[in-house]
Amino acid sequence: MTETVIPAVSLQGVTKKYGTFQALTNVSLTVAKGERVVICGPSGSGKSTLIRCINQLERHDGGKIIVDGAEIGAHGTRLPELRREVGMVFQHFNLFPHLTVLRNCTLALTRARKMPRAKAEEIAHHYLARVRIPEQADKFPSQLSGGQQQRVAIARALCMNPQVILFDEPTSALDPEMIKEVLDVMIDLAQGQMTMICVTHEMGFARKVADRVVFMDRGEIVEAAPPEDFFNSPQNERTRLFLGQIL
Amino acid sequence: MTFPNILAGIFEGFGVTATVTFYGMLYAVPFAFGAGILQHFTRGWARLAVTAVIEFWRSSPVIITLFVMYYTLPSFGLTLSGMTVGAMALGLNIGGYGSQAVRAALQSLDKGQVEAGLALGLRRWEVLGLVELPQAFTAMLPSFVNQFIQLVKGTALVSLITLTDMTFRAKELSQLSYDPVGTYTGLLVAYFIVCYPATILGRMLERRVSTPARGLHDL
Repeated sequence: MTETVIPAVSLQGVTKKYGTFQALTNVSLTVAKGERVVICGPSGSGKSTLIRCINQLERHDGGKIIVDGAEIGAHGTRLPELRREVGMVFQHFNLFPHLTVLRNCTLALTRARKMPRAKAEEIAHHYLARVRIPEQADKFPSQLSGGQQQRVAIARALCMNPQVILFDEPTSALDPEMIKEVLDVMIDLAQGQMTMICVTHEMGFARKVADRVVFMDRGEIVEAAPPEDFFNSPQNERTRLFLGQIL
Repeated sequence: MTFPNILAGIFEGFGVTATVTFYGMLYAVPFAFGAGILQHFTRGWARLAVTAVIEFWRSSPVIITLFVMYYTLPSFGLTLSGMTVGAMALGLNIGGYGSQAVRAALQSLDKGQVEAGLALGLRRWEVLGLVELPQAFTAMLPSFVNQFIQLVKGTALVSLITLTDMTFRAKELSQLSYDPVGTYTGLLVAYFIVCYPATILGRMLERRVSTPARGLHDL
């Protein structure tokens, strides 16, 4: 049964080196459509590298990465087209400071998807409302708080209507009082059946919405389990050590 | 000759000075952007080649490139007009400096900007045109204005390859009037009259492109 369904993302034996440093070692992970996966692990464990390989902001050295049935690097797959199906939310938001909030959201729609401006703005307004900041559309990013900026970044990713969204520590650069407003938006998304791969240290979020929690250490996937099992009965010693430190 | 007469005489050469500046800009701006962007994008040998071209124009004295192009190229069968030589030699020299402003401005941007553009599915050149250059432009503007003024002043050299610009006119006038003090003082004043408005215009432009909303980058 499950073989006939194309997974959203499939990694098969992915490796990545920076010079002599082995950032990823033989990483395999399959994320089904509609699945929410949280990746955690100590810093330098390869979590960010892993999700940055999925949209090829980092090139992998070995193994296969298949997004929505198309293998990256295979003949005929083009990166820009592929990336339009893979949204990404960054730790430092990376909004375009010279453009308004609205234009941040419509830029890729009008340029990459060749959508008429009016239609693109309609979509942008829709998603800005969904992340609960419809009134900020005409401001510049620097006029918003960190939490608001990150929500704009989420709206910007949603506008492309991607198959999957990657979150790279989306709350790590935020002041504590702003973390909740971003997490609330992410929880809302998760409940809407969006396929999500989140690198985060927010274990409360993981417990609440993740279908699976993946623990990485030294470039390897050490353990992957539903949150219930992951938090209550971790199998691996390294996982136990990590959870002991952060919980 | 009265001082106003001297100034009026010098300004008969203004047309040539302005024309050399204008054509110089036609070389300088594309060269600055082309070379600066190429230097930003290339690695290894390609980058070395781009850098070599930039450094050649940046580090050779304009007076020498002017003479080489005007006096020695004809013996290799290539005769260029004084105007072409003046515009090219000055324009590429200034463009060489400008290219470094372009490259520096592009490199000073947070690399997350490019990543965000690419992650949205924009092509690399679209990210350059829509995300990097518009932001870098603000950073380049002050040095562009400076270099424009350098170019205007640099045009004084074309008087040495027979163009009748303001400096050439001043030389003629001082020979006719036997008043080098008055004439060359007049020439200084004339260049100031031409260059100072450019400085003011530059400041106005800078203020316009760095409106508060755009200038306060949180990141």
